[in-house]
Amino acid sequence: MNQASKKFFKKGDPYVLLTSLGLLISLGMVLWLLAIVLVKGLGIFWPRELVQINLKGENVYLGELWNSGKEISENEFEQIVEEEKTQLKIGNRDLYGYDFIWISDKEIKTMTKPQNAAVFERSEYGNLYGFILQVNLNNEIVTDSSELFNEAEKGISLAHELKIKLDEIEEEYNTLLTPLNKIQREISLLKVNSDFLTDEEAKRLNLLKEEENKLTESINQPRIVLEEKISTLKERLNSFTVNVITANGDETLMQLKNVVRLYQPNEMGIFGKSIHYVQNLWEFLSGEPRESNTEGGVFPAIFGTVMMVILMSILVVPFGVLAAVYLNEYAKQGALTRIIRLSVNNLAGVPSIVFGIFGLGFFIYIVGGSIDQFFFSDKLPAPTFGTGGILWASLTLALLTLPVVVVATEEGILAVPKANKDGALALGATKWQMIKKVVLPNAMPGILTGLILAISRGAGEVAPLMITGVVKLAPDMPLDFNFPFFHLDRKFMHLGFHIYDVGFQSPNVEAAIPMVYSTALLLIAIVVFLNLLAIYLRNRLRKKYKSSSF
Amino acid sequence: MSLFIEKELKESNISKYRKKALRNNKIAGIIISLGGYGVVLSITAILLFLIYEAVPLSFSAAIEEFSFFNSKNKNEKIMLAGLDRYVEVEYLVFENGIINFYSVSDGSLLKVEKLPLKLNEKILCADKGSLSNEIFSVVTDSSRLIVAEARMLPNYDRNKRVIVPELKIKSISNLSDEDDSKNRSIKLFKYSKNEDGNDFWAWVNDRNELFVKIFEAEEEVFYFHSLIDQVRDVEITSLAITQNGESLIVGENSGELLWFDISDYNEVKLKDNWKASASAVSAIDFLIGDNALALGTTAGEVQVWFPIRTKNNNFKFQRIHRFKSHDSAVSEIFVSSRNRSFISIDESNVLQLNYSTTSETQVKFTASTNSITTASFSPKSDALIIADEQANIGIFKVDNDHPETTIDALFGKMWYEGYDSPEFVWQSTGGTDEFESKFSLIPLIFGTFKGTLYAMLFSVPLALFAAIYVSQFAPKKVARIIKPTIEIMAALPSVVIGFLAGLYFSPLFQEHLMTVLLIPVLIIIMFLVSVFVWKSIPEIKRVKFAKGTDLLFVLPFLVISFLLAAGVSNILELNLFDGNINQWMYEVLGINYDQRNSFVVGFALGFAVVPIIFTISEDSLSNVPQSLTSASFALGASPWQTVVRIVLPAAAGGIFSAIMLGLGRAIGETMIVLMATGNTPIMDLSPFNGFRAMSASIAVEIPEAPVDGTLYRVLFLTALLLFAFTFAINSVAALIGDRLRKKYARF
Repeated sequence: MNQASKKFFKKGDPYVLLTSLGLLISLGMVLWLLAIVLVKGLGIFWPRELVQINLKGENVYLGELWNSGKEISENEFEQIVEEEKTQLKIGNRDLYGYDFIWISDKEIKTMTKPQNAAVFERSEYGNLYGFILQVNLNNEIVTDSSELFNEAEKGISLAHELKIKLDEIEEEYNTLLTPLNKIQREISLLKVNSDFLTDEEAKRLNLLKEEENKLTESINQPRIVLEEKISTLKERLNSFTVNVITANGDETLMQLKNVVRLYQPNEMGIFGKSIHYVQNLWEFLSGEPRESNTEGGVFPAIFGTVMMVILMSILVVPFGVLAAVYLNEYAKQGALTRIIRLSVNNLAGVPSIVFGIFGLGFFIYIVGGSIDQFFFSDKLPAPTFGTGGILWASLTLALLTLPVVVVATEEGILAVPKANKDGALALGATKWQMIKKVVLPNAMPGILTGLILAISRGAGEVAPLMITGVVKLAPDMPLDFNFPFFHLDRKFMHLGFHIYDVGFQSPNVEAAIPMVYSTALLLIAIVVFLNLLAIYLRNRLRKKYKSSSF
Repeated sequence: MSLFIEKELKESNISKYRKKALRNNKIAGIIISLGGYGVVLSITAILLFLIYEAVPLSFSAAIEEFSFFNSKNKNEKIMLAGLDRYVEVEYLVFENGIINFYSVSDGSLLKVEKLPLKLNEKILCADKGSLSNEIFSVVTDSSRLIVAEARMLPNYDRNKRVIVPELKIKSISNLSDEDDSKNRSIKLFKYSKNEDGNDFWAWVNDRNELFVKIFEAEEEVFYFHSLIDQVRDVEITSLAITQNGESLIVGENSGELLWFDISDYNEVKLKDNWKASASAVSAIDFLIGDNALALGTTAGEVQVWFPIRTKNNNFKFQRIHRFKSHDSAVSEIFVSSRNRSFISIDESNVLQLNYSTTSETQVKFTASTNSITTASFSPKSDALIIADEQANIGIFKVDNDHPETTIDALFGKMWYEGYDSPEFVWQSTGGTDEFESKFSLIPLIFGTFKGTLYAMLFSVPLALFAAIYVSQFAPKKVARIIKPTIEIMAALPSVVIGFLAGLYFSPLFQEHLMTVLLIPVLIIIMFLVSVFVWKSIPEIKRVKFAKGTDLLFVLPFLVISFLLAAGVSNILELNLFDGNINQWMYEVLGINYDQRNSFVVGFALGFAVVPIIFTISEDSLSNVPQSLTSASFALGASPWQTVVRIVLPAAAGGIFSAIMLGLGRAIGETMIVLMATGNTPIMDLSPFNGFRAMSASIAVEIPEAPVDGTLYRVLFLTALLLFAFTFAINSVAALIGDRLRKKYARF
C-alpha cells in the first residue's frame, strides 16, 4: 500500500488534479461574473409585480419586492436569533423621501397583489406606485373604475403629443427672438464698460440701440401670437391630470405630462410583460438619461463612445500601419528596429492612467492652451481647446492603442508571401507600388484585427478618459446639425465612465444600481462581440499564413 | 511618321508615368519612415514630458533682487514695509507717521498718507497684525495705539489692472486706560487681529514689564492685563501672539520661553514654560496655522517648535526642526502668509529662507550692507521687501514654487504639525489655506504594491495551473473552447470589474465573510478527499479514462466544498464567533474589516491578471516541441513527470514573461483599484483594509490640481514612477524571458 501510494504521488496524479482545479476556478470566475451581469442587467427591464404589505402596525406599503436578507440580533433572553427581512422598493420619493425600506418578516400581517395597482414612471422623483382614483382629460372627468387605466393611458399619449407641439412652438418662439437676444447681449457688453467707450464704440452702441427698437417693433406681432399660443397650450397641457391614492391613503394629483409610462404589472400576462420588456430595453438603448443618469436611457453615452472610437481609429490606424510597414519593409533589421519594437512593447505595458495624465498635461494644457491663445483668444479666459474634449480624449486613446495596431498589422504583413512581393518588384513595380498593391491588401485582415482590438480597448478604457474630456452629462452631442457639425472641442459621455459615475458618484446609488448593471452588460456585449470578431479574423489570417507557407 | 511620333509620345508618357511613380515612391518612403520614427518619438515624448513636469519639484529656491531704490527720507526710520498681491505697489511706514505708496516698477511715489499723529509725536514700534491683509498697529511715544490698514486693491479698468492704494484708520486708543502717566519707552511690541475682528496687543517697556491689551469687537470692550508678576527677573527679548489671539509666547534672555493662554479675556494664565536654548531667544513668530513657532537665538540658532500631546493629554512644545545656523545673533523672523516658509535675519544682515516642514534652509545671502530695519513677504510669498536704516528699499523675487517637496519629504518620514512622531503621510489638500500639505509618496507606492501582491498571490497559481492543464492534459476540443473564453476575460473592461468588485463583491464578502473564509479551507480539504477517491480507483481503470475526465471528476468536489461552506458557515459563526465574525475579529483579534479591502481587490484584479498570465504561458507551454514530450513518454515518464521535468523548464522563459506582464498590469490598473478600495492612504499589510494606489491617486486628484502647482507636479512624478516601474518590468520580462528561453529551449 505504502509503495503504491508513493508511486501514485510520484506519477503526479494529484498534481494533475490540482491543475484541473485551477482551471475550474478560473473558468468559474468568468462565468460567475458574466452570469451576474447578465441576470442583473437584463432582469431590470422585466416588469415586476407590485406587492402590498400590511404590517401588524398601521403601516401599509405598496412596491416591488427587491431583496431579502437575514439579520442577526439578540432577543430579550440574550439569545442570538436570525430574522428574515425583506427589502421593498416603495418609490414615491417625493412623498416618503426614500425609495427603499427593509421590513422585518415577523412584522408582516398580510401580503397581497392588488390587481389594479399601477406604476407611474415619472420624469422626476422616480416611480410612483398607487391606485388611480380619477382621470381629468381637459376638464372631462372620468371616475369609472373599469375605464380609468385606459383613459389615463390615452391622457398620457395626448399629453405627449401636446408637449411635442409645445416644444415646436417654443422653438419657433426662440428662433424669432434670437437676433434680438444677440443684439441685446452686445449692448449689455458695451454698457459694462460704458465709462471707457471709444467714439467708435459709442456710435456702435447707439446704432445697436436703434436696431433693437426696430427689431422689437417688427417682431412684436408674431411674438404676441406665439406667446398666446404657448400659454393656451400650457394651460391645456396642465389640465391633463390624474388623481392617485397611495397604499397608505395619501392622495396626490399628478400632471400627465410628467408621466413617462404607466402600467399595471399585476394585470399583465406574459405577453404584455414581454412587450413592456422590449419597450424598456428600447428606451434604455435610445433614450436620454433622466434623474441624474439613474433612469432613462444611455443613448448619449453610446453615441459619445462611438464618436470617440471613430475619431481614435482615424488617428491610430494610419499611424500604426505606417509604423508596421516601416518596420517590415523599410527598416534594416538591426538596432533601430529593435529600439522601435522595444518602444512598441513598452508602450503596450504603460499603465493607461499615465497616458491620461500625459494627455491632460500635454494635449490639453500645452497644445490646447496654445490653440486657444492663437485662435480663440476672444473667448479667453473660458477655454475652448484648453479643456477636456473629444479630440484630446481620442488622441490620448490613439497613443494608448497604437501598439495593438502595430502588432496586429505586423502579423498581417508577415503573412504576405515573399514570392508575391518579389514578383511585384520583378515586374518593375516601385517599392511603394508593391506595398500598395500587394502588401496592404493582403495584410488587410491583420489591419482589421488591429482596428477591432483597438476599438474594443478604446470602448472599455475609462481612466485616461475621465481626465481628458468625458463628463457625466454632456449638454450637446459632439455631432449635430450646427456648423461645423463635428465639434472636436466638446466634452462627451462614455459608457464606461457612465458605469463609474452612476455607480459611485450618484446621490442615490441604490436606485441607480440596476441601470449600472444594464450599462455594464451593454459594454461587455460590445467589447466581447468586437473581440470575437477579431479572434475570427485572426484565425482566418493564421490559416492563410499556414497555407501559403507550405 | 505618325507612328514615330506616337511612339515618342508613348515613351514620354511612360517616362512621365515612371517619374510620377518614382516620385510617389520617394514620398511614400519618407512618410512611412516618419511613421516608424513616430513610434519611438511618442514614447520618448511621453517620458520626456513626464520628466519635464516633474523636474521643477527638485529645483532649489532662488531669491534675486529686481527692484532697488532709495526712499530719500533718510532721517526717518522705516518701521514697516509691505507689498500688494501682484507685487506692483509697495508701502512704507515711517517713524513720523507718514505712509508712502510707491510703484514697484520705477519707484515713483504714488500716494502719501499720514497716520493721525500729534505734533512731534513719533512711532516707537509697529507690528503687522494679520497674514491675510495689511493691517498693522503702531505705538507712539505719547502712549497711543493706532490700528490702520494699507489697502492696495486692484481695479480693472478695461482689462488693465490698476492697484489703488489707500490708508484706512481702524482705531485709536491709549496704551492703558488705567494708568497712562507712565510715558515709558516701549521696547517690544506685538499686535494681532483675529477673524472675529478682536485686537490683541502685547508690549514690554524699558523696565521689563509685560502688558497685554485685548479689544473684543462684538461687545466693544477693552481688557487690560499686567503680567509683571508672572515674569521673573529675566530680561524679555522677544514676543509672539498667534493669529487667532489664543496664545502669547514670551522669549527671555536666559533662553527660556513662557507660554501664556490669553483665550480667556478676563484672565491670562501661564500655561507652560521651558528652556529652548542656552542663549537668549532674540526673535520668535508663529507660522501660518498658529501651531508652529519659529524661533531664533543670539547664538544664531533657528528652530521650529510645536506642541505635541503628552501622555496626560497636555500639550507641550517640542523642538521639531533645526535649520542652518546664522553666524551672528538672529534679529528678526518674518513668516509667509501662504506656506510654511519664514525668513530669519541676523545682525550682520544675512538673510535665510527656511521651510518648516522639510527643515530646509533654502537660501542664505547677505541682503544689505546696512542694518535691516524691517522686511516682509508679499501676500503670495513670491517676493520680499527689505528696508535698511539708510532708507534703501530692495524688492527681491522669491522663486520658491515647491518648497514642500524635497527627496526627504517625498520618500522619507516627515514630522508634520499635529503628529506625535515623524510619519509617511499622503494628504495633498486640506480644507483651509493654513493646511500643511503632506506629499509622502511612500503610502501610495506601498498601496500599489500591496494591491499587486494580493492580486499576484491569487492569480499566479490559478493562471499557471489552468495554463498547464489546458496545454498538457485537456482534450484538444475542450482547449479550443476554453482558450478564447479566458482570452475574452482579458478584454472585460476594467470599469465593469471594478464596479462589480465595489458594489457586488465587497458587500457580498462582508455579509458572508465566514463563508468566504471557509471556502479556501474547504476547497483544500475536499481536494484532498478527491485525491483519495481518485487513488482508490484502480490504476488500470484510471489509465483508460478519456482525456479530461479529471476535470469532470474534480468538479463535484469543488461544488460540494462551496455548498458545504455556505451550509456550515452559519452554524460555525453562531457557535464560535458570537454570531458575527466581523465583530469577533475586531474585538478579539483587533482586525478592522473594511467593506472595500485588499482581499476584494486581489480577487477583482485576478479577473484582469489571470487571463494575461494564462494566455502567454499557455502559448509558450503549447509551443514546447512535441519531440521532447514524446521522448519523455517513451522513456516511461508519467504525464506529470514530463510536465515538471521537460515542459516547464522549456517554457520557463514564456512563463516568466507572462508573470511579469501580469505584474505590470496589476501595478498600472486604475479603475478596479479606484472602485474597490476605500482609497485611504494607510500603510498596513492586513488584507481586510484598503489602500490608496498611485494610479487611483492620479485619476482622482489630477483634475482638481492647479496646473503647475506642487500637487500637479507630484502627480506627474507619480506617473513617472509608474512608467518607470512598468518599463523596468517589461524590460526585465523581455531580457530574462529571452535568456531563459535560450537556456532551456536549446534542445
